[in-house]
Amino acid sequence: MKKYIFLLILCRLASPVLATEAKLESIRVDTGAAAVQRGADTLMSACNSCHSLKYIRYRDLAAFGMDRNKIDGWRGVQSMDAALAGQMSDDAAIQTFGIIPPDLSLMTKAREGGANYVYSYLIGYYNTPEGITRNHVFPETKMPDVMGMSAATGQDQRTEIQVKARELVSFLAWAADPHKEERHKLGYYVIGYLLVLTTLLFFVKNQIWSRLK
Amino acid sequence: MAESDALGDTGRRDFLVRVTTAVSGVGVAAACLPFVASMNPSSDVLAKATTEFDLSGMNPGDMRTVAWQGKPVFILRRSLEQIKEMEASNGGFAPEPDRQRVKQPEWLVVVGVCTHMGCVPNREGPGWLCHCHGSQFDDSGRVLRGPAPNNLEVPPYHFVAGNKIVIGQA
Amino acid sequence: MKNRVIKWIDQRFPLTSFVKNELTGYPTPRNLNYWWNFGFLAGFVLVLQVATGIFLAMHYKADITQSFDSIQHIMRDVNYGWLLRFMHSTGASAFFLVIYIHMARTLYYGSYRAPRELMWWTGQTLLLLLMATAFMGYLLPWGQMSFWGATVITNLFRATPFIGDQVVIWLRGDYTVSDATLTRFFALHYLFPFLIIGAVVVHLVALHTVKSSNPSGINLADKENIPFHPYFTIKDFFGLGIFLIVYCVFVFFLPDSLIEPANNIPANPMQTPNHIVPEWYFLPFYAILRSVPNMVGGVVAMFLSVMMFSFMPYLDRSRIPGGALYRPIFRLQYYLFIIDMLVLGYIGYIPPTSLTILIGQIATFCYFGSFFVVTIISRAEERWLIKRGLPPGVEALMASEAREQIVLPHRRRSGDGL
Repeated sequence: MKKYIFLLILCRLASPVLATEAKLESIRVDTGAAAVQRGADTLMSACNSCHSLKYIRYRDLAAFGMDRNKIDGWRGVQSMDAALAGQMSDDAAIQTFGIIPPDLSLMTKAREGGANYVYSYLIGYYNTPEGITRNHVFPETKMPDVMGMSAATGQDQRTEIQVKARELVSFLAWAADPHKEERHKLGYYVIGYLLVLTTLLFFVKNQIWSRLK
Repeated sequence: MAESDALGDTGRRDFLVRVTTAVSGVGVAAACLPFVASMNPSSDVLAKATTEFDLSGMNPGDMRTVAWQGKPVFILRRSLEQIKEMEASNGGFAPEPDRQRVKQPEWLVVVGVCTHMGCVPNREGPGWLCHCHGSQFDDSGRVLRGPAPNNLEVPPYHFVAGNKIVIGQA
Repeated sequence: MKNRVIKWIDQRFPLTSFVKNELTGYPTPRNLNYWWNFGFLAGFVLVLQVATGIFLAMHYKADITQSFDSIQHIMRDVNYGWLLRFMHSTGASAFFLVIYIHMARTLYYGSYRAPRELMWWTGQTLLLLLMATAFMGYLLPWGQMSFWGATVITNLFRATPFIGDQVVIWLRGDYTVSDATLTRFFALHYLFPFLIIGAVVVHLVALHTVKSSNPSGINLADKENIPFHPYFTIKDFFGLGIFLIVYCVFVFFLPDSLIEPANNIPANPMQTPNHIVPEWYFLPFYAILRSVPNMVGGVVAMFLSVMMFSFMPYLDRSRIPGGALYRPIFRLQYYLFIIDMLVLGYIGYIPPTSLTILIGQIATFCYFGSFFVVTIISRAEERWLIKRGLPPGVEALMASEAREQIVLPHRRRSGDGL
């Protein structure tokens, strides 16, 4: 018993040490089709110019239920089997930014803090007194402030950007884990089944053992 | 499982054990499904369902072979004589009117896999000859001489603008 | 009809007698508690890992240009591929959890003592095989953590005297962890579980020779044994049900909690992640490795820390049976040891600072110290307990075992024999 309590205490103590320097905003990822689609819109207009999503193909977007016309507009002459490639070539990217923009297919899984990290990063831009744009969450970033938070004037603008960022992150969360909903659904059934079965096994066990003198 | 003589006789006991065994059995069977399903073609394989092909550049009497879902598909542009000949008969072993096997009489589209053991027949006019066991197909893909039991399969296809054909979708 | 077939087989193969003597009718102490379920659970997880592993191998590509992509293919395109992958990654953690609890049970109840030393050592071998399998398997996704973890650990073999550098190159098949390493790790990762299965058979044969120990530690008379079936078959299945619920909660709802975020980034030999950390089950040993400032010393310490367990049958000099049950000082030592393991695990996880390094070194000292202290304390404790007075059954057992120095193999009794 003592060891369990100790383990719990250890886990609680671990969390402050593991957090990154900046405090992350907590968001609820929206798994609804509408939000994810709007996120895709934002991605294709704002992010796709530099970032690829090599594990998402146009037909995956169609299978999710996104508007077919929009998809056709995005892919142009590419086939439905083509992956979402970034518009900028690697050489141009290195020339402009000094680094190739990372692929976004798994971004909400590839950072400590997941979706919260990506969201906080996107809205974490600010302007220093000298007029240089920096990011609270990832100070070394070479990426410009695409969402425009550092230039936001009023609360309305900020809220609008936050909503857009949240939907974008919702799309990225879907892209990183397209089967999540299916997995959760199956999970409820499986665990429900196991609860029933384990209860039955419990009663059979008691019944069998009661026969022992 | 637990149906041994160690269990005894009371109906209620037995019932509980039977129910538990049945429920476990269902679970074990269900647990096998994902494993079996994972061996089925994955979604990217299934997506390679259609192939597009440009028909311009083919003269009457020309035949081209196109890959579709990893299989060869024969596209034959038939001349007027060939069409007349094919419409005149219903074929050999598996009678079928030519009209039922084409959307436009000028174009025959059949899967180039012999219905006997799966070899790819060679174009040997008129029709195709399978060199594996000697099956003969006519210019409508119908089997004239065995051991192939069936006519060459007609895949789903449709014509699109610009003199193109999309195989894999009706 | 069925009986005729079985009779035909029995004339040619000991089917019925084997099933009766070793499976259904196998005599088991009636007082085994739930800590005895974990051997069966380990066997179950082994089967689970082999099954999911084989079906994953139908889709995985062991080539550095394709491996990361093939796993995304499994996760996204293969029917239920995501389920196979998460079952396998969660299963690895489940395997270690079950094995560690299984070992903890053995240490607590003193089940490693004579005549069960071989069981303990075959178990030790199984632990090493499992660790090797897990280590090689972790390279296969070819993520950042996979690559750098493999780089760091294969580098340790540089500690080999005289031929260290060549050994590392030989292991990797290249100057760095590369395609050659990945391919051979895949081949070996596929092979090792079958070696594990073989070693499990040896482990079970040893078990069936000396029979299970039991929680009381007092030798039970034969009438205190009950047939394995149906009593322990149903108890094992019930325990399996509980285990599967916990396992499935992780597989379906928390699968990413066991996967380091950095491993979702393809391996980049030009850039090390800020925080290289092994999977949780290696953390205590990793902490011990880092505690020793000297590289060779660290490797030796880490290797010893796993091997130290083998010496337990000889380090524990007390003749009081039953492990921690009648030995309050041993019990205290045991709990302190567990706490020490948890501290080491924590130290292994967090980035090192001068304070945490110091704590890690103290914890390492305590770790090895525990093994040596057991030698001294066990005898002293025994004397103290005898003076204080033992439960009658224990005294009788010790007296009878003092008379018989050798355990005769035909004695089919259960309990903690000496």
